[in-house]
Amino acid sequence: MEFQTESIGDDIVVIRGDGRLNMVSGPALREAVKRSVEAGRARVVVDLSRIPFMDSSGLGALIAGLKTAREKGGDLRIVRPSTQVSMVLKLSNVDRILPAFDSTEEAYRD
Amino acid sequence: MTEERQNLVFSAPPDDVDAVHEFLETVWEANPGVSEFDRMAFETALIELASNVIQHAAGEGGVTCVLTVDADENGLSASLADTADAGGIVLMDRSMPDELSESGRGIALIQALVDDLRYERVDERNVWSISRARESGGS
Repeated sequence: MEFQTESIGDDIVVIRGDGRLNMVSGPALREAVKRSVEAGRARVVVDLSRIPFMDSSGLGALIAGLKTAREKGGDLRIVRPSTQVSMVLKLSNVDRILPAFDSTEEAYRD
Repeated sequence: MTEERQNLVFSAPPDDVDAVHEFLETVWEANPGVSEFDRMAFETALIELASNVIQHAAGEGGVTCVLTVDADENGLSASLADTADAGGIVLMDRSMPDELSESGRGIALIQALVDDLRYERVDERNVWSISRARESGGS
């Protein structure tokens, strides 16, 4: 799976994928976040609306991205997770640090 | 009441967990009575199991697996037999690691999603079994 990135404003990037987020596609997401943060866009939104399935490897990639963004003073926020992705976030207690937003605009309203 | 048993043989590499997802699609098509939530929970657990087996065998030059899935009125069960060396994965009650951990959730997730998770060493194969009863009120 390839991840598309879209820049918004001075420091926001939206990263979108289409497919399953797992041990196969996780490394590509980590890399996409790293590239954006290194390019000065540390406020990261990962749009999950087209990710029907995520496993713990995919979740690990999201958390790695969150750490990468925070190290540069930014953050990583997720938008529109599917029912399965929400279930994995909740069972892992990661919903406490990665709350879901309804839209990109809402994710970085603050 | 129909009972469906289906098999998949895969080798990683070149196959990966996508082979398991595609196989499960055929299982769900053959068993339309399984609820959306049961599918989701069972698929998540089985993919965690297969990912663990594939990842741990990567250093051994790969692995061949035989996966059998059964669906009947009682619930869903799967057996995954692999050719990897014994003892690659330690099965015990795992607690969920802290929120910022990037790994170590696979077994804990499986345990949260199925009623039973077992491991046996049989004829130089690792045999993993999971089962999940149908959610009450499910069709």
